[in-house]
Amino acid sequence: MRIQRYITILGLAALGLGACAASLPPQDLVNARSAYNRASNDGATAKTDPSDLDSAKKQLDVAETSFRDNGDTQGTRDQSYLALRRTEYAEVIARTRTTDAATGATVDAMHADEKKTVAGTAAALARSKTEIASQDNAIASQKVALKDEKGRREEAEKRAAQAMADLAKFASVKQEPRGMVITLSGSVLFASAKSDLLPAAQLKLNEVADALIKEDPLSKIVVEGHTDSQGAVPYNQDLSQRRAQAVRDYLVSRGIASDRVTSQGFGSSRSVADNKSAEGRADNRRVEIVVQPSTTGQ
Amino acid sequence: MQNSTLLLLITAPLFGACASFPAPTQRLADAQSAERSAREVGANNAPAAQLSLKLAQDQIGQAQKAMVNGDNEKADSLLIRAKMDGELALAQAREKTASGDRQEAAADSADQKTVNAVQGAVK
Repeated sequence: MRIQRYITILGLAALGLGACAASLPPQDLVNARSAYNRASNDGATAKTDPSDLDSAKKQLDVAETSFRDNGDTQGTRDQSYLALRRTEYAEVIARTRTTDAATGATVDAMHADEKKTVAGTAAALARSKTEIASQDNAIASQKVALKDEKGRREEAEKRAAQAMADLAKFASVKQEPRGMVITLSGSVLFASAKSDLLPAAQLKLNEVADALIKEDPLSKIVVEGHTDSQGAVPYNQDLSQRRAQAVRDYLVSRGIASDRVTSQGFGSSRSVADNKSAEGRADNRRVEIVVQPSTTGQ
Repeated sequence: MQNSTLLLLITAPLFGACASFPAPTQRLADAQSAERSAREVGANNAPAAQLSLKLAQDQIGQAQKAMVNGDNEKADSLLIRAKMDGELALAQAREKTASGDRQEAAADSADQKTVNAVQGAVK
């Protein structure tokens, strides 16, 4: 009787323990195992989020232990469910980190590219500034040069005007279509019937030469000799030519470029006054220095 | 009599585990916190996170009912799962945000290249 009671008690106990021990694993554990195998075989998850994958492994171990010790209990299913979710969590975190890394690389590349562009633009700007500064300097130099040139020109014009004013004291100076005409009386320059310059004439021609030097250096100068109508025409022609030549040579000796100056005798052919009176004849005996402006308008 | 006492000592641990399980208030708070965090980062708008969030919310609701009915052990089990689902939903929502950021950065990079090409950027 006693033995029978023990058998009954042990049978009930075995029944209670046997309810916890399942031969087949619960679906949650199957899913957890599958998920972990997938994640652990995925090199990316193991490499990118080893910490969470390790947590998943530990959680799976807890579930396996629970199943081994207790069978298919609610606790085993809960631990299995957690192992499944923790594995999925590790996969999500790994993918997110990979995505974040790619985003960071793209942004870094953008920043590097932008930095490079800004540096290039800054260098180009610096070059432009240097060029502008150089051009400004050149313009300033040109302005100074122009100002200097203007000053020199004004000074030269002033000196030329003064020279002409000085000339006007002993010679007639007129502007005509053929140019500026400086008329010197023959009696001031030469003795009667002679073509040698008088000493006093040289002083006056010195002033004429100074004035001409200050004039436009490109202008051409023609020295014209004129006589009155007394005497033979060939003689007058020859005398006027020699006198013009004498004046021309003297001007060249005073520094006027020889290629600027020519001479020509006109005899009595171009009288400017009546040859019947002494006064008229005196006016006709003359040397005219014609300054022809250069064609460039200088 | 001695034999009856021995029997009780052997079987009590097997059946007594379900008795007087404390209310899992801390687990409830943790699960609710995880669920709230997931919602705040936009789990409702991320397809992958929506399912996890829904599971968390459903399990929290079931746990609260179980607690009302005095089944604290069942509630505890549900809340352990709900918390994990909430955390997973949060991670999935962040994954979607990261993916969006990646696409945005790629678009910005393409725009930058286009603008630099059009404006003749010096390098």
